[in-house]
Amino acid sequence: MITRYITNVSTAFSPFNARSGKTVRNFLALLPPNARSTMKIDVKMFGQKEAEKPASLGLKFKDGKEMDVDLEKMKLRDIQTEVDRHSRTLRRQEELAG
Amino acid sequence: MPPRLRLQPGHLVPASPSNTPYICQHCRHASLANATTPAPPLAHTNTTASAPAIARYPPTQPPSYKPPEFRKSQLHRQYQSLLRSSPLLLLFQHNNLKATEWTAIRRELTIALRKVDDDLAAQGEQAASSVANGAKLQIIQTGIFASALKVVDFWTPNFSPNAAAPQGLSAQAYRSATQNAKTQKHTPHRQSSLDPLLSGPLALLTLPEVSPLHLKAALTILAPSKAFPAPKRRVNPAYHEKPVQDGLAKLMLLGARVEGRIFDMEGVRGVGAIPGGLAGLRAQLVGMLGGVGAGVTGALEGMGRGLWVTMEGRRLQMEEEEKKGEAGDKQG
Repeated sequence: MITRYITNVSTAFSPFNARSGKTVRNFLALLPPNARSTMKIDVKMFGQKEAEKPASLGLKFKDGKEMDVDLEKMKLRDIQTEVDRHSRTLRRQEELAG
Repeated sequence: MPPRLRLQPGHLVPASPSNTPYICQHCRHASLANATTPAPPLAHTNTTASAPAIARYPPTQPPSYKPPEFRKSQLHRQYQSLLRSSPLLLLFQHNNLKATEWTAIRRELTIALRKVDDDLAAQGEQAASSVANGAKLQIIQTGIFASALKVVDFWTPNFSPNAAAPQGLSAQAYRSATQNAKTQKHTPHRQSSLDPLLSGPLALLTLPEVSPLHLKAALTILAPSKAFPAPKRRVNPAYHEKPVQDGLAKLMLLGARVEGRIFDMEGVRGVGAIPGGLAGLRAQLVGMLGGVGAGVTGALEGMGRGLWVTMEGRRLQMEEEEKKGEAGDKQG
């Protein structure tokens, strides 16, 4: 996953939710070791009782685009594809600008 | 064009007198440890040089060159014993921590736990036990750990004297554990399980006994919150160094398993917040039981006392009436 163009990750989820919790946790595990110096990461975790509470994952990119991920429908691979798709356009713009 | 000389590898005479291949005894496949034929003594190798070499392993299962301590079977065994021997497990997710960050965090954790041990020893309690030496923060192989957890939770080994020694690693254990897990999943006491947590990169903090004081110390270091504030910079400057803080930002507390029961983050903090540790808990229990006793005596006594008060009141009233009556008679 291209994480160079992400500036902000904010998420709220319960790790006890087998679906959304896993997706968000795996997404966080994909961020590079120095992620906290290049982007703002805000993680809020719910407990076991709120496992069914809807989880949210919001991303912001360098060009200001905000992406709200629908965790009911999308899994990790889909999120990766979406992020990469936008990041590639940003990369191309950067290359063209020199 | 085929080669002019038709040489077959089997017909070639080896350069060295012994044609038995060298096999590292430490790297043999674990499952073949007993199945391999013992190496022939050195004196025989020269005489039987023409005889076909003894196959030491089946061709479909060549020896493993993985270091033995990282073999799946060994890890499975190790996790089972870990789950059985440590009553308090904290589960963390680690998001790409660097080696320096791990060492820094482990150092801070050990220092904090040792301090609790020293404090307890100074108070004269638990002088012999040392939780700090038994505590371990380690990265686990998630899938193998999940399997080991299932075996530990759902498989009851048969310890009858005439049966063979029970093996937690056996296929039979795995099968019965899987079956039991399926049937018992929806019973109420099994409702909360670690299953949703077991994915992704996980690390485990194990403590050899349930000690709320040590848990509190560990939580202040690893997952500081409002209830467990991190040590101040003046008190513990090493804690505020960059590697520690960077590492802790990437370490997420997911849940815990305390004596077989599953807790979430709030639950763990509840266990850690028990004042005075286990001794404090015992004192609380004694106080509560004493309170119940006092309440019962009070309630039982209350009935009698109420009756006595009513009767006494009635007696006084009647006496007064009598006096009044007597006074009336005298006047009349």
